[in-house]
Amino acid sequence: MNGQSQGLPAGFRDLLFEEAEGRRRMESTLAEVFRSGRYREIVPSGIEFLDVYTRGNQVISERAFKFLDRDDRLLSLRADFTPAVARIVSSRLSGAGETFRIWYSGDVFRRVEPRKGGYAEFWQVGAELIGRNGPEHDCEVINLALECLTAIGIQDAAVHINHAGIFRGILNSLHLTDAARGRLKSEIDRKDARALATHLDDLGVAGHIGEQVRVLSRCIGTPDVLMDAAAVLEDGESQMAITHLKDVAAGLERWRDRITFDLTEIDELEYYTGVMFAFFSPTRRSTLGMGGRYDALLRAFGSDLPAVGFSLSMDSVMEGI
Amino acid sequence: MRDALLIALPKGRLFDVTLDLFGRAGIETDRAEISSRKLTFPDRQGLYEFVALKPADVPIYVESGAVDAGIVGSDVLREFDCDLYEPLDLRIGVCTLVVAAPAGVTLTGQQHLRVATKYPRTATRFFAERNAHAHIVRLEGSVEIAPLLGLADVIVDLVETGRTLRENGLEPVEQVARISAKLVVNRTAMKTRNAAVRTLIASLDTVVYEDS
Repeated sequence: MNGQSQGLPAGFRDLLFEEAEGRRRMESTLAEVFRSGRYREIVPSGIEFLDVYTRGNQVISERAFKFLDRDDRLLSLRADFTPAVARIVSSRLSGAGETFRIWYSGDVFRRVEPRKGGYAEFWQVGAELIGRNGPEHDCEVINLALECLTAIGIQDAAVHINHAGIFRGILNSLHLTDAARGRLKSEIDRKDARALATHLDDLGVAGHIGEQVRVLSRCIGTPDVLMDAAAVLEDGESQMAITHLKDVAAGLERWRDRITFDLTEIDELEYYTGVMFAFFSPTRRSTLGMGGRYDALLRAFGSDLPAVGFSLSMDSVMEGI
Repeated sequence: MRDALLIALPKGRLFDVTLDLFGRAGIETDRAEISSRKLTFPDRQGLYEFVALKPADVPIYVESGAVDAGIVGSDVLREFDCDLYEPLDLRIGVCTLVVAAPAGVTLTGQQHLRVATKYPRTATRFFAERNAHAHIVRLEGSVEIAPLLGLADVIVDLVETGRTLRENGLEPVEQVARISAKLVVNRTAMKTRNAAVRTLIASLDTVVYEDS
């Protein structure tokens, strides 16, 4: 009993003094960046109906801390911010033609495998731009994230940019069953070029499509890789995605040394609908943050608004600061 | 930032064959360095640093980014559900994960089975997919004696030659998976060290698939 009352459950920690003060300073710096970008803060509730998360992202809802309220409805500790923002915009703010620029900062809770020693509570800071479509707004959000990282002292942050439409176009053109589509996606995600080629053969996928997948597996680098991809892609949706990325490249000229176009990744959950991106630093072991366009999410909450956003994993960001 | 790519190697059955494979790929290591008690040892060109770990620990080190890449059997990968890249099958340490039962016993799928194994999650998944009711007994080693001593009805274990099974009066009744060693890469290292990782994959790929 004594051990329980004086300790913490696995995956949790307290922040004392320097750590708490460091977090406070960093949050103030970020608040200033968001203010100058005309983004406004919200603090979503710490508890949601679990349903809010299952509408967004199945994997996150599986990892959520769940419990029942007095009427036996399933609740969840905050497991993600974006679905909460989608709920708030849809239920409390929505109006056609409006634009919302929102930022947030706070802790999310996800169950971890104890064996892996990860934290179950972690600090996220992020922003969402809701109601606007088009590459210039994707650029606005990527630019904002890079400004955030720069402002808190990460001078070497790089962004890898991709578009969900590239592989989605190819996958749709194959007309696979859900199960076969799922297996192919995880095969692509594993990045074993030989196993993937064999798998495509087994599925009876035509050689020229296998060739497109093979070329994409090498498309990581300068905007030149967009040309390489454009030269082989045939599907209309895939081609449109490349055109979109070229516009994004043009809109982010000021960060050109920090940008890698990375078409090798597949969004296995099919959560993103357009551009998707992740932030890295050569001096950090974990991804600093990620984001993308998720036009389908607000539709799941009953309002048909496009949206793009990012979130920073502040524990990775603070590693080594 | 560390310059050399840090690679975890599995101690045990895969260790020597892995070093041999790296050697053939021109990534040579010095035996004296390996047997010295230093934490890591380099290759001769200084492109890589190696650290020898228990096989079951390799995925954790790679997934967390404590090391950039690793070599590990696919038996361990299946068991631990890891979030990492698996860009190359090294075709070494090839064996089979099987269900083995005492000679003469046939599985009807209706019995309630007690299964002894070092791979509880893999075994649970395997029997669940067949709608067979299995009670898993997790062991750390010498799994093949469990049926003899009455701890379990069958085992799920790796088989290379089948000799250990035969010596204990067991025979394979069903294949769970084909196993071989894989190169695994941390998700962030694949991005921040992309050129170095691609060089490693290409060097190994050349020798693994030189005959095909």
